[in-house]
Parts: sequence; structure tokens; C-alpha cells
Amino acid sequence: MPPSQLKRLKSSLREQGITGQQKSKKHKKQANKNGSVRDTRIQRNAALEGIREQFNPFELRAPARASKHDFVTNKPTNGKAAKGALARPGVTKGFGEENRRQTLLKEIQRRKKVGGILDRRFGENDPKMTPEEKALERFVKEKQRGSKKNTLFDLEEAGDDEELTHFGQSLSFDKTDNLDDFQEGLSSEEESNRSDSSERPSKRRRLSIDVSENVVLDRNDEQPARPKTKKEVMSEVIAKSKLHKYERQQAKEDDDDLRAELDQGLPDLLAFMRGAPHQPEGQQAKSLPNGNMNPDRAAILDGKDRAQAEKQYDERLRQMTFDKRSKPTEPTLTEEEKLEIEAQRLQDLEQQRLFRMKGEPISDDEEQGQDQAPPDGPVDLNQEEQDSFGLGPGLLGRASTRQLEVEDEDDFVLEDDLVDLDSEPELTEDSSLDHLEDEIAKEEEKEFYQGLFTGHNAGVGEINENEKREFNTPLAGKADSLAYTYNCPQSHAEFLQITRDVPVDDHPTIVQRIRALYHPKLQAGNKAKLAVFSSVLVDHISYLANNSNNTTCASIEALIRHVHSLAKMFPEEVGRAFRGHLKSLIEDRSLEPTLGDLILFTAIGTTFPTSDHFHQVVTPAMLYIAFYLGQRVPQSLNEMAKGIYLGTLCLQYQRLSQRYVPELLNYTFNAMWALTSAHPGAITGFFPLRALSDSFRLGESSNSSPRKLRISDTAPTGNGSEESKEALKLALLDSLVSFCGNMADVWTGISAFTEIFEPVATVLRHLGSKLGAAKLGNPMGAKIHDTLHQIEDLLTKARIARRPLLLHNHRPLPIKTSIPKFEESFNPDKHYDPDRDRAEMNKLKAEHKKERKGALRELRKDANFIARESLREKKEKDAQYEKKFKRLVAEIQGEEGRESKIYVREKRMRKGRK
Amino acid sequence: MPTATETIVKSAKRKRHDTDSNLPVGHKTKARKTEKDVSQRPNVEEEILLLEGEITQSRKNYNKITILQDYCKKYQTRSKTSITAAIALCRVFCRLMALGSMSQSREMADNEKIIAQWLRAQCGSYTDTLLGILHGADPGMQSTALTLLMRVQKERSDNLNELFHDHGQNEGLFSRIIASVTSLNSMELIREEFVEKYVQPYDDVRYYTLACLNNLLKEEKEDALDRLDVVVSLLALLESDTAEKQSMDNFYQKKVNAKLHNVNAHKKLAQELWMNVLSRTLSRSQRKTLLNMMTTHVVPWFTRMELLMDFLTDSFNAGGSLSLAALSGLFHLMQAKNLDYPQFYTKLYSLLTSEILHSKHRSRFFRLLDTFLSSTHLPAALVASFIKRLARLALGAPPSGIVVVIPWIYNLLRNHPSCTFMVHRRPEYSDFIEGEGMDDPFDMAETDPMETRAFDSSLWEIHTLQSHYHPNVATIAKIISEQFTKQAYNLEDFLDHSYSSMLSAELSKEIKKPPVVEYEIPKKIFFSNPDPAKDDSLLVRLWDFS
Repeated sequence: MPPSQLKRLKSSLREQGITGQQKSKKHKKQANKNGSVRDTRIQRNAALEGIREQFNPFELRAPARASKHDFVTNKPTNGKAAKGALARPGVTKGFGEENRRQTLLKEIQRRKKVGGILDRRFGENDPKMTPEEKALERFVKEKQRGSKKNTLFDLEEAGDDEELTHFGQSLSFDKTDNLDDFQEGLSSEEESNRSDSSERPSKRRRLSIDVSENVVLDRNDEQPARPKTKKEVMSEVIAKSKLHKYERQQAKEDDDDLRAELDQGLPDLLAFMRGAPHQPEGQQAKSLPNGNMNPDRAAILDGKDRAQAEKQYDERLRQMTFDKRSKPTEPTLTEEEKLEIEAQRLQDLEQQRLFRMKGEPISDDEEQGQDQAPPDGPVDLNQEEQDSFGLGPGLLGRASTRQLEVEDEDDFVLEDDLVDLDSEPELTEDSSLDHLEDEIAKEEEKEFYQGLFTGHNAGVGEINENEKREFNTPLAGKADSLAYTYNCPQSHAEFLQITRDVPVDDHPTIVQRIRALYHPKLQAGNKAKLAVFSSVLVDHISYLANNSNNTTCASIEALIRHVHSLAKMFPEEVGRAFRGHLKSLIEDRSLEPTLGDLILFTAIGTTFPTSDHFHQVVTPAMLYIAFYLGQRVPQSLNEMAKGIYLGTLCLQYQRLSQRYVPELLNYTFNAMWALTSAHPGAITGFFPLRALSDSFRLGESSNSSPRKLRISDTAPTGNGSEESKEALKLALLDSLVSFCGNMADVWTGISAFTEIFEPVATVLRHLGSKLGAAKLGNPMGAKIHDTLHQIEDLLTKARIARRPLLLHNHRPLPIKTSIPKFEESFNPDKHYDPDRDRAEMNKLKAEHKKERKGALRELRKDANFIARESLREKKEKDAQYEKKFKRLVAEIQGEEGRESKIYVREKRMRKGRK
Repeated sequence: MPTATETIVKSAKRKRHDTDSNLPVGHKTKARKTEKDVSQRPNVEEEILLLEGEITQSRKNYNKITILQDYCKKYQTRSKTSITAAIALCRVFCRLMALGSMSQSREMADNEKIIAQWLRAQCGSYTDTLLGILHGADPGMQSTALTLLMRVQKERSDNLNELFHDHGQNEGLFSRIIASVTSLNSMELIREEFVEKYVQPYDDVRYYTLACLNNLLKEEKEDALDRLDVVVSLLALLESDTAEKQSMDNFYQKKVNAKLHNVNAHKKLAQELWMNVLSRTLSRSQRKTLLNMMTTHVVPWFTRMELLMDFLTDSFNAGGSLSLAALSGLFHLMQAKNLDYPQFYTKLYSLLTSEILHSKHRSRFFRLLDTFLSSTHLPAALVASFIKRLARLALGAPPSGIVVVIPWIYNLLRNHPSCTFMVHRRPEYSDFIEGEGMDDPFDMAETDPMETRAFDSSLWEIHTLQSHYHPNVATIAKIISEQFTKQAYNLEDFLDHSYSSMLSAELSKEIKKPPVVEYEIPKKIFFSNPDPAKDDSLLVRLWDFS
């Protein structure tokens, strides 16, 4: 137990020599004589003050609660919080008081006083600065202000004094150089300056923290140094970079020298290797250290400064991390490997197609590789692009490019091999059937491209930069009457101008020549020109189909294939051209498609993958076809043929994705009904029937087998003979029946197969009994019978395969739980509010409350201070008054006394006289 | 609708234009023409004005009325002067009526009486002329004539106590006006003007119009349907909120019968008229138009709505588009009057035919259907029948129809959770089904929605539509197999689509990413493939391109 307060007081008083033995008179006298009495009194007072402070129970504030044991709390056991922060309220109060005196008091005193100039000159109120220092400081400030104005977005400037560090150490190579650099000195100085300038005497800075900061700043102010100006900094940076550059050059020269030296030694080395391939091991090992060692390193190891060597070594090591790693060289592939890669590629493409069909997103980079040719990047063309640019190698010729583009050459070798392999089926057994087909297609593709250039293979080698000259080489076939050079047509009118006098069959040749002349690799602008040309070609296809007889189909086909291969290069342009045609079709002739439109739909079907879930060109085209089938009531046989053509396309579009098209079914029903009046009551159920005129009715059909539909059947042909009409009707019916079969094939798997095809079967049955029963041996009847049989088979299968739907095999949705989550390390001071907004709100509220309290306390303290100050002032005033009053009273009294003395004296004198 | 004065100005303009167009013919002709114009036309007009002034100045000049009448009667040939004369005469008669010189009273002298009688006769012949103009002249003159007639009628009723209504005699001026306005189908314009300028704003005119129409219809023979059409079209021109007026106090004439202030009197009259119309044997298209305006124009007038019941029930039973049209009216009755319609849902079910998803009334029908089936107290079997039948119909529907059906089915499944067996069911006799498969238990031909066994069936149709060719439709169809987390779909978002709106939506999107191109270039498109290993496409098999 500590001694009591009183005891401690006594003991401390005694220690200070305030109490205790009385000093003897002699001592006192001596002390008096020395004049040390006053000293001792001061000493004594100081000691007393100290004791008072020491014994003031309010000087130190202990924490309100004793610190807890560390096993009951998860607060940190050491650090400030753990100690419980022994507060010194007296000191804080004193700081606050001082602060107020400097700000608030000044304000109070200045109150009701008008005007006045605040002296904000730098260092004016600082007694510690000499006039020279003040002048210097001011000058520096002014300069800095001038230079900082335009550096808001100056990146270089910012880059100068910022660099990446790790644990405070610079990461750059020339760290050692930086060490003695201006930067360090500058940074600390600048900092002090900045804090200086920011140290405007803020009006109300009373928190003790600020006060302590002030103290620190004051210390900094004591050793001011002139910072470097911006100009100086810049010049130094420039000098430094020049130095570095020079050093680098030097190093490079050294390297070159070394290399030359090594080159000189190479013949020797070769001779050495050839001459003595088997050198004894030991000898080699002996010669190793110097022979294999880097000459630099050897030099370093030879002696010299150890530290310097280490340093150099470190630097080299660091630089090495940035060296390019050596890559394994491309191995030469065997035939099987090449085949495998090719198969893999096709498999990938098929995979991507399936993804698109299901409408699943393909990751971006994959897609990039898939359908975006990087602009002007011939350096690393991958396989895929090689295909889309397949034109390239053919154009640049074989012999001339052998050295230039070896990869292209490889490509050709590969393709040639593929042709060979195809004839040996056992080698391709592992790849699936469609792969085989793909490969064949690939081969065909190549052939297609090569075919483009067979005509002037000899001449193409000479095509180079911008050269367009007539080829003199004789050409095969009818194409020799054609010119070799054309301007790349930028509009359809221009193209028509070119092809004006040329038979339609030669149009593909012209196109292929234009494509060769303007190949993107030949000149910079060619790519854009070809892009426009590709859309011109789309126009031309529909133009050709619209404006010529049906003999042009072959050349249209060639043109479509041209468009297709251009589409690989310019998918966007070609897509846009097709969409433009669709748009004009809908706007101008919404239900009257021309032959050209039909051909364009065909082209869309082959150019773009129709199986995609969504495709920018195919989806609108498909929608249009369905629109036509659904809305158009055929008025003539030609229109019905048109509808059947679109229906064929529709089936072809859906052959892979097997999507359901109700309109097609509906159209088929209606057309069959119109042709045969084979409408068996209300069996068709969910399909509305439209009454068509009797002119469609098939007459008593002959035994003749139906002919194939011709594309010319879709064009309105006035009134043909009755016979040809009958033949056309029969052909239409024939294709409708094949529709039924095909639809059943395509939609085999869908779940409502029975619902959809039951009516089809009924209609066919009815049709069969009507046509076939009357004349057995009728080819039409036989076909109907076959189709019916096929559908009935499929219906049985569908019936067996039918199961009730089980669509909702979802995991049940969890019910929201109201049990709070268990916190592993729960801290009662922390708020675990799952509602973020509420938590945020509470946080703000708490902050507000805290701030409010703080502000109130400050205001209260201010008020106290003001009251105290005014009281003090009043007391001062009163004391002054008192003093004056007393002085006056004393004066008067003195005067009175003097007067009365005089009076008494005079009285006495008179008495005395008497 | 141009007013009378406007049309006059217009016709004047036309005239001027005519002369203008004649200008460049030649100097001489022009000079002659203008001379003629100057000498004739203004003179006539001046003369008319002069005559008018003289007539109003003194009694002696009353005889000059006949000159004006003569001018007026020549409306077939010289329309302009005729119109001027008609206007002048109108002014004259109005002034005379206001002065009282046309009214008779006992204390008048004989000669006065004679004059008044003569004036009345003149006025009668004047109105006859005007009615003639109204009946068969060009629209501009008709409009003027109508204005003048109504003006004269107003003056007559104000000053001569000659009322609009003549108690079924059909001889009063107003009845004749109404008769001539409604006489011809082609007088569309003048009817519109009449309704807009008089019937709509003036409550008394409306009342008397209704009364006259009623009389007219009563007089007509049963099978005279032309007049009926006209009457219906006239009534359709009335704004639909007229019947909801709270008070009737805007009158054309100064003094009116007290009962005209009563709203119910108006309603009663209108109801009588409508019943008169509805009780006739109507053609199908007439019925349809009537049903279409039922809720907006007919029902508001009716104070006893049950009178409508027979008509609506008959129409609903008629089937086809008529029942569709009758639906909304019937629904209104059921809601407002608690009408009990036996086998309503059976009837409604029978409306779900193969045309319904193709028809142009699709969105209207679905709005109503949604209301009818929104009750959660309906038997599940019934709801299941509706769902299944619509799903079946959706198999043959255009995308715009499918897009409506699927969210609707979703909403129904949400409201009737027991129906979700149609999308998720573990088979009871799974072994049997494993071996034999199953048929759809749903009976499409059954008319009673409680007996279709749709409840035991599954929605294979919707599952099929998940692979619809249109990507958006397919995506919408997928909501049925997703978890039912959404409360309900707002049907309005799906109602108004069509092929063309979908197409333009597709094509108006800009291409952002380059479209994917088929990696394989087919060797042959139109012609048979020389390589026997590869199958020909369907196009090549079916079509001959050589």
C-alpha cells in the first residue's frame, strides 16, 4: 500500500528543503549578504510549483476502467489502446487555452474596430528570421508560384519526382546514381516549403494534435535552405539523360567490338570443332572457366574492386530478367500431325458454330481469332486467316514468293497432301464424316481460289507495287477477249459500265481479275476499294438475276462464291449490303420479291451460317421468308412457285439448327389444299386455311411423272398453255409432298412432333386416296405413299419417345433465413449490419453525433474563455479605477493634511505672538 | 369542317382563280371577259343588296321578295348569285320575324293578316328552296344552306312559337332538315358538320334530333336498312362522353320546354332510339359496327342496361368475329349489372379457333381474355384447357401471336400453381410409358373446357416453340422452363407486335460486330455436286436452274 497523500507531501517538501531544520541566523545573515536570499526564494517557489503540479490529482487522467485481461478482450494487448492512454487534461487544456488566446482573443479584441491592415508578408511576424532570410524566402515563394501555374497536366513534370519504389528503395537501375542526386534533398526541402506555405495561421486550430504539429513545423523552419528552381531541375535532368545516353552508346560500342572479336575467332573455333571432335574431357573442363566465361566476367574476376564487381553483377542480373526468352523452334510437322491440326481446326469451327446455334456467348478473344482479320497484320497470320486471305499466295505466284512467305508455301503443301489423302480413306478414318466433308470442302476452296488465277499465273509474279500493265501471256478459253486491267468499281453503275459489252458468263472472270489487281497486299488503299467492291458485287448479283434469263445461273453461282470469299475479308461490308437489300425489299415491295431477291436469299443462306441463334443478316432474312409464307396468299401459280422456293430456302436454312417454322407448315397445307382441294374437314386444327381460287385446282392428273420446278417458274409468264400449267401444278404438288417429307426429317426430334405431323399425315392420306387409289402406278401417288409411310413411321417413333415434360428440375429457391450469421471473430464495437444502406446511414449518424458533440464542447469552451477574459478585463479595469481613486484620495488627503498643518502652524504662531 | 362563310370565301377564291387561269389566253378575250364580268356579276350582287335594302325599308317593296326568290331558285345554274340571294333573304326574313310582321294575332287588321300569311308562304317556299339546295348541290352550298336553315328555324321558334318538335308529324321544318340530312348515304360531310355545329354543342337540338330520328325510324319499313346505317353513323359522330353530362343547359333556342333540362329525359329518348335500332333485323356488318361502338356510344345512354342483354347474347351466340365483338359489351354488362351468362367459359373456349391468333382483333381479345381468366377461383381444369388450347394454337401462329400467348400462359401458371403439372410431371406409370410412349390425353375436339383432360397433358407445344426460328420468340418461350421468379409479365408489352414491326426492329439495329461468315464456301449452289460423296442440298434436288 502506498503511503498516504499527506505523508508523501511531507516527504517531498522535506526533500526539496522547504521544510526541515531551520537555518541558523549566521547562515541567514551570510546568505543575505551574498544576495542569494532572493535566489533561494525563487528556487523555493519553483520547487513548490513542482510539488503542487505533482500532487494535482487532475494533472493526469487514468482510464475510466482498468484494462481487461487479454483473454477476455480482443483488443490489442499492446500499443496505445492497450495502455489506456494516460491523458493529460491539464496540458491539453493549456494548449487549448493558448490557442484561443492567439485566435479568439485577438478576434474579440479586434471586434468593433474598423479597418486595419493584416500583415501577411512572409516571415513578418517571425522574430527568428533575419531580414536576409526573409527576403530570400519571399523570392523563392514568388518564383515557385510562377512556375507551378502550368503544371496541372504536365505529366513529364510529375514523372520527374515520382518513381516506383519498393520498401522505399528505387526500382530503377541507376539507383546508385540517384543517391547523390538532388532529388532527396529537394524532396525534404520541398516538403518543408509546402508545409510552410500551407501554414497560413488558420483561425481556429485548437486541437492539441495541431499544436504538436506546429511544434514540429517550427523546428523545420529553423534551418531553411533554398530549394532548386524548376529550371535548374530541368537542366539537371537533361544533363543526366544525356550522360546516360552517352553511357549506353559507349556500352554498345564495346559490345560491337567484342562481337567483332568473337567473329574473328569463329573460323578458328569451327576448325577446332571439325578437327578434334572428341577432345579429352579433362582438357575441356580445364579450359572451361576461361573459355566459356563471359570475358567481362572474367575481367571482373581477375581482380579489381570486389564491391564494384558485385554491383556490376547485380545490374547485369537485373537486366537479364528483361531479356527475351528463347523459344522452341517450330518443329517440322509430319503429315499426320498436319492432318490432325487441320482436323482440330475444323472441329473447333464446328464447335463454335454449335455454340452460336445455341446462342451461347463465345469468349471475345476466340471470336477475334474467328472472324476478325486484324488490319494490315501480315506478320503472324494464323491458319484461319490464311484461308480468308487464301488469295494471297496464289496471286504472288509460287516461285517468286518461295523465300518471302514460306508459311504460305507450307500451306499449299498441306493442301496438296490432303488431296492425296482423301483418296486413301483408311487414313482419315479417325476423323468423323463431316470432318472429311469439311476437308474436301477445304480442298475445293483452295481449288476455287487457284482456279481464279490459272488464267494468268505466269503474269502475276510481275504484279508489284502499283503496276498495272497488260499481260501478254496467252490465256485459255473465251476470256482472252477481255481486258486485264480494270478500275476497281466503287458503285454498281461503274461495274455495269465495265461489264456492258461483256457476256454474262465472263463476269466472274472480270471479278477475279479485279480482285487480283486490287489485292489488299498490293497497295494501301486497296482494302477499302475491295470492301466497296464487295457490296457492289452483291448489288450485281440481284441485278443479274433480275435482268437476264436463266442461263446465267452458273455465273451467278460463281459471283456468289466470290462474294462469299470477299465476305471472309469484309464481313461487315457484305453483311451491310445484304441488309440494305433486305431493307429496300421490305420498304419498296414488301410482299413482291423479285427473282433477284430470291437469289439473294439463296446467297445469304450459303454465305452466312444459318444455324446461328442470332445473326445480323440471317435472322431478318429468315423473318422475311416467314413473313412472306405467312402473309402472302398466292394469286397465281408463279407466286406459289415463289413461295415454294422460299420454303425450300427456309428448310435449307434450318437443316442444321432444326428450328420450327410454323409458317412453312401452314403454307404447305394451304398450297396442297389449293392444288387438290384435299381439305379433310377441320383436321388441320391449329392452322388457319385461306380460300384460294379454283384456278389452282389440279386437273385429272395424267400418269406423267412430275417435272422438276424451274427457277423461271417463279417469274410471271402470262398465260401459258393449259398443258404447261398442268405440268407446273403437278411439279408444285410434287415439291410440296417432298416438303412434307423433308419437314418431318428436319423436325424429327421436337417434342410436339405428333401434334404437328398428325394433320400432315391425314392430309397425305386423303391425297393419296384421291390420287393414288384412282390410278395405281401413278408416280405421284407412289411418292405420296412413300412420304406418308415415312411420316407414319416417324409418328410411331415420336409416340414411343414421348414423355411428360419435366421442365422444372430446378433447385428449389431457398427461403430467406432470419437467423443471424455467425461471426467468427465477433467484435462488439463493429457493426455487422447486413443491410448496407442502413449500415452506411448509421455510420453517418454516429459521425454526425460525434461531430456535433465536439462542436458543442468547443463552443462551450469558447464561451467560458470569453467569459473569463471579459471578467479579467473587468477586474483589470476595476483595479485601475481603484488605484486611481486611491491615488486621488491620497492626494487630497495629503493636501488636506498639509493645509491643516499650515493652519495649525499659523494658529500657533498667532498664539505665540499674542 | 368549313363553316358557311368560309366556304363562300373559298368559292369566291375559286372563281377568282378561274378568271386568273383564263388570263394568258389573249389580250382581247381577257378584255372582253373582264368587261362581261364587270357588267354582269357585281351588278347582280349590287342589285340583290339593293333589293334587300329596299325590302327592309318599306312594306311596299315586299313584292321584291319574289325577285330574290327567283334568284335563289336558280341554284343549279348560277350558284353564286343564288347563295347571295339566299343569304339576303335569310336576313330579310329574320328581320321581319323579329319585327313581328310575320306573326298573326287576332287584333291584327285583315290586310295585315293577309300580308303576314303571304310572308309566311314566301318563307315556306324559301325554306323549300333551301332544302332543295341541301338535298342536291355541291358541299359548299349545302353547308351554307344548312346554316341558313338552322338560322331560320331558330328565328321561327323564337318569334313564331314554331317549335322544333312536331310530335311525330314529320312536317315541321326541323324534321324535314333531319330527314334530308339523313336521307342520303353520301351526305357524309354535311352530317358531320350538322353534328359538330348543332347536335353536339346544343342540348335541345340533340334532343329534338333524337326524337326526329326516332320518328323517322318508326315510319320506315322494317327492311329499309340504308336509313338505319345513316342514323347509326350520325349517332356514332356524337362524342362518347355526351351521355355522361351532368346537366343540360346549353340551348340553341331562347325558350325551351322545361323537360329539356332533365338529363333522364334525354337518356330515355336515346335509349328508345337505340332500342329501335337494335331491335331491327341487322346485317352482320351492321351488327359488328354496333358492337364495336357498344361500350363507347351505346351503353352510356342506357339507364336500363338489361335491355341490351338480348342483343348482346344473340350476337355472342352467333359465333365467329361477332362473338368476339360482343365480348366487351357482355363483359361490361356482367360487371355492371351482374348479368348471369350461362356457360360463358364454354362459349369463350369455343372462340379459341385457329384464326384467333391471326386475326387483327388479337390484342383486343387477349386483353379481355386476360381479364376473364384473371380470377384465381376458376377451376384448374378449365384454366388448363385454355392454356393447352392456346399452346396448341400457338404452334401455327405468327411470331407476334406466340409472343402474346407465352407470357399469358406464364401468368396463368403463376396464378394457378396446380396447372404447373403441365410443365413438370413425373409419370405415374413410368415403366409403361418407358416401353410404349404416350399419347396426348388432351382432346382438341372437345368443346367443354372442363372435359378436355388438358390437365393430364403436358405443354409439348411450348417446348417446341423454344426452338422457334425467331431468336426472340425462342427466348421468350424459354421463360416457361425457367424458374418462376417473376411475379407476372405485363401483357401490354407483348400485345402489339407484327411481322413488319419485328422486321423493322431487326433491320434498324446497326451492325456492331462484323457478322460471322460461313467458313466453308460451297462448291456448288445451284447445280448438282459432281462429287458423289456429298449430298445435294434440298434446293438442288427440288429446283432446276439450268
